[in-house]
Amino acid sequence: MVEQDFILEVDAIHTFIGQFHILEGVTVQVRCNSITVLLGRNGAGKTTTLKSILGLTPPRIGRVLFDGRELQGKRAYDIAAMGIGFVPEHRAIFRNLSVAENLRIAERKKGDLERKAEFIFGLFPDLKRLYKLPGNHLSGGQQQMLAVARALVADNKLLLIDEPSEGLAPILIEQMMEAIRELSATTTVLLVEQNFLMASRLAQYYYIIDDGKSVHQGEMADLIHDEALVHQYLGASVRVEVGASSGRGGGK
Amino acid sequence: MKIKAFWRENNTLLSVALILLALSIFGLFSMGLEPFVRTTLSGFTLSALYFMVAAGLTLVFGLMDVLNFSQGSMLMIGAYAGWQFYTNPTFLFGLAPLVFALMAGLTMMAVLHPLVSKWRIPEQWQSRLRALLLVLAVVIGVLAVAGVDFRGLASTAMVATMVAGNPLAEATLQEPLASFWIRPLLLFLSGALIALAQARPGDSTVVVYKDQSRRSGMIVAGLLALVIVATLVRESGPLAVLTTNGNLRFVLALIVGTLVGAGLGAVIETTLISPLYVRPLYQVIITMGLAFVISELIQLLWDPLPYAMSRPPAFSQPGKAENIWAFFQGGNTTVDILGVTFPSYRLFIIALGVLMFVGLTLVLKYTRLGMIIRAGVQDREMVEALGINVKRVFTLVFALGTGLAALGGIGAAPFVPVEPVMGDRYLMQGFITVVIGGMGSTTGAAVGALLLGLARAFGDYLALKFSLSPAISEASTVIIMAIVLLARPAGLLGRRE
Amino acid sequence: MSEKAEKRVNGKMGAPLGWIRQHWGELAVVVGLILFPYIFGLLSGTSVSQGATKFWQGQLIVMFIMAVYAMSYDLLLGYTGILSFGHAAFFGGGAYAMALFLTHVAPKVTDSYRIMVGSINIADLLMLLAGFLLAVLVAVLLGLLFSAVSSRVKGAYFAMITLAMGQAIHILSKATDFVDWTGADEGLHGVPVPIWLNPTQFRLRFYFIALAFMLIMYLITRRIVNSPTGRVFVAIRENESRVRMIGYNPAVYRSIAFVTAAVIAGLAGGLYALWTMSATPSMTSSALTINALIMGILGGIGTLIGPMLGAVLREFLGHFFYQWFGARWPLVFGVLFILLVLFLPYGIVGTWRLRRLELRQGWQRFLRLFKPEKE
Repeated sequence: MVEQDFILEVDAIHTFIGQFHILEGVTVQVRCNSITVLLGRNGAGKTTTLKSILGLTPPRIGRVLFDGRELQGKRAYDIAAMGIGFVPEHRAIFRNLSVAENLRIAERKKGDLERKAEFIFGLFPDLKRLYKLPGNHLSGGQQQMLAVARALVADNKLLLIDEPSEGLAPILIEQMMEAIRELSATTTVLLVEQNFLMASRLAQYYYIIDDGKSVHQGEMADLIHDEALVHQYLGASVRVEVGASSGRGGGK
Repeated sequence: MKIKAFWRENNTLLSVALILLALSIFGLFSMGLEPFVRTTLSGFTLSALYFMVAAGLTLVFGLMDVLNFSQGSMLMIGAYAGWQFYTNPTFLFGLAPLVFALMAGLTMMAVLHPLVSKWRIPEQWQSRLRALLLVLAVVIGVLAVAGVDFRGLASTAMVATMVAGNPLAEATLQEPLASFWIRPLLLFLSGALIALAQARPGDSTVVVYKDQSRRSGMIVAGLLALVIVATLVRESGPLAVLTTNGNLRFVLALIVGTLVGAGLGAVIETTLISPLYVRPLYQVIITMGLAFVISELIQLLWDPLPYAMSRPPAFSQPGKAENIWAFFQGGNTTVDILGVTFPSYRLFIIALGVLMFVGLTLVLKYTRLGMIIRAGVQDREMVEALGINVKRVFTLVFALGTGLAALGGIGAAPFVPVEPVMGDRYLMQGFITVVIGGMGSTTGAAVGALLLGLARAFGDYLALKFSLSPAISEASTVIIMAIVLLARPAGLLGRRE
Repeated sequence: MSEKAEKRVNGKMGAPLGWIRQHWGELAVVVGLILFPYIFGLLSGTSVSQGATKFWQGQLIVMFIMAVYAMSYDLLLGYTGILSFGHAAFFGGGAYAMALFLTHVAPKVTDSYRIMVGSINIADLLMLLAGFLLAVLVAVLLGLLFSAVSSRVKGAYFAMITLAMGQAIHILSKATDFVDWTGADEGLHGVPVPIWLNPTQFRLRFYFIALAFMLIMYLITRRIVNSPTGRVFVAIRENESRVRMIGYNPAVYRSIAFVTAAVIAGLAGGLYALWTMSATPSMTSSALTINALIMGILGGIGTLIGPMLGAVLREFLGHFFYQWFGARWPLVFGVLFILLVLFLPYGIVGTWRLRRLELRQGWQRFLRLFKPEKE
């Protein structure tokens, strides 16, 4: 495989939080214009992997290449400004800011928001209606949409999305999936998702992280047929619906 | 329904207002109109001062989790700088070229960055080179300032206040240009060496931003121009300032004091605070140490004595103005308000405090910086993840906080003694203010300042009535803090964890 | 080093000899301090209670008292991780308690009761002890007050509240309302210390008392630090939520640490009042709190020896700084302090302990070069 195929290469990173060794060798490669999903149990280190990529919890060992550039030793804001959008878990929008301000603050150049407004409101029509409201007046689903929308304001080459379906009603999950599928037409997505059904229908590639190590990787189409593997790493509760459409739908 | 919702959202503020109203009705009837109005107005004056200290504290703590124990000292520095500028700016003019030169040198870092990162230096020599450069910089820096008569320069304003007649008599006590010119040059060199060390020569892993280095180049050029101008006007400047109109001079003093405070704040944040974000306890300790250093330094320069700064002419015409409008025309020392003779300058302080609160609220609400601050108070990590240079925002906000305190200091200088204990005193009152109001909230700081100021004023009134000293009422403000802490540990408007 | 010594000692030698071997460093320091006035007297050619010898005894007395004060602060900052900026209140509280008692209460008692045993008036001694008890009481009350108000806050917030309260105590100590009692701005001077303890007349006696005071306080503090309670203190510093999970109430233990430190500082303050025969507002000022910080950081927080060493160094250097830089010599310490916090945050003792391991490892690596490989 030629190197340029990957927009992001995470090479055996080790991350410590305080005295705790959270990541003990995570390797992830994200292909340009794809959706890749990180799977794993709760506490396996998926969120920390995203934060390590972004430099919020910088890895102590190993290296991260984004767009062919080394990220070692850079501050998080420098890394983000290189073109990475981040949608944190728990719908972490700025609750004391209005919807408009939540979007405006993500601008990296003046006029970003105006340029992208049509695209964003196309994905999440609700936000247009709520534009003036303060963030803490939004429902959970609306907050999640705002969090995703915020990552779309600037021109990002890569989106890190952490558990977009967490705590959402099924119909909203469907809507969110549709939105992610649509936005992946223009950028690359690295997703962390507990909802295996959603993950399996969205992503083309997967990595399984267990106990801070990446233990398995491959194409999503293969994983859905490997029930034993799914069972081993993702727990018994996950039921695979064979036949669910895999990969990106219309999109490209 | 609407009233109910309004009450739910603002119940703290409304309860405070109701309690204040009840207390003031009670006070009005038990004290009589004249003392009541006078005490209330005095309280507002104090409130304005406390707000100026507390606003910076609460902003900085809310955004950066740094509690600045030198905030009181910043007010003191503002007061001293403003007093110097207003009375006899020789000291400031003498120092300006040196400060600008050092700053210009330090700003060279981003300019040097792209040049030196390509140098081929073996890795083990890189750190040695950096150490060597720093040592060299310190040696040159010491050489540059060796023999400058700081105390002599500082004493000019003291002499001016003591001689009382003609401040111009001592206005020019500057080293002749023929021997002075080398100093800014050496300091620029020293700063540039530090910048060179900071630029990590030979370290190719450092990211280089072309546009940033270009912008820094322009800043360096600007600063160098300032150095040259400041060097040239060193001797004529003080005279020119002293011969200008007193009111204009006072406005200039306000600006200079604020700039000195803000500049110092920026320097403190970048050199002392930012290396210690990994060790928050030491951050607090270092600001405490800094407060100590500043108070010692001020005593070294101006001796441990209280000074009185004269009021600007707009507030010092003899006689009493019938009302506010008459004051605007006459510029009298006192104004008649509801039958109470009140010093007009104190009204100016109240106005300054209100203006600062309104300005700060507007900045927070409508500017991008304000938006980032509000967002950062809630979730700093996410602001960083959006690609916003939080480091620069931190420096800016810290400078804003210290600048506001310094502005408070120069504002206060004409009616409180300018003395080295100012720092401790206003630090304590600022702390009590933010404890009452709640950390991280500007409105909270305003409410806290209002309550504390009124409490102090009425406390002083009561103390006088029972023939106690004002010290008792100053000390007992701690009781208010204790009550608020026990009832609402997060303060009236603070974040609840 | 001590562990190694312990191993060697166990079983081989008699208990007292072994104990001496184990603690020879500490013992040497103690013996050195006991002999100091005599040796210094011999070297300088002055008698034990005159001239330079007497002067340096005085310097050492201050060092001893300040060492105890710095140690008490370290119990909070270094061991329990509590940043308190009101520590001077305890020292000053102890000093004022002692001075006020000896000035206003004790004379009334000693005037009416005289219990002579030999040449010493027991009533004087009892009053002195009562003074110390009162200092302890004041310190306990102040400590409880401080920790009651600030029990629900932590970290920098705690520091802020203790500073405000300490400042309030300072203001009260300067208040003109109590001028008859405290002397307001001037402070209390000429406290009637019992004649046999007069620090100018019986300097050597005072020297030994101060030395004994420091040693006892050091042993007590070390005992506290090594006790189960002391371990909870350290655990609170490291991870408070885990302490709570194990089932200890951190608030209670922080209060215990606070009151203990207050008592030790109060006792030091009481003795200091005897030494200077005065109590002044400078003893409650924030500058004194910063001194505790400076001494702690200089020597190394989290070690008992460190702050004591820091206190000694500070007083010793202060003496010369005063000669070189004049009245504003604390400025030098302030700058030094900031540099220390930035570049040497573990202080002298802390850094030495860190480096010692490195040095030893380096030495072993060096030795290994000459060892034949076992294969």
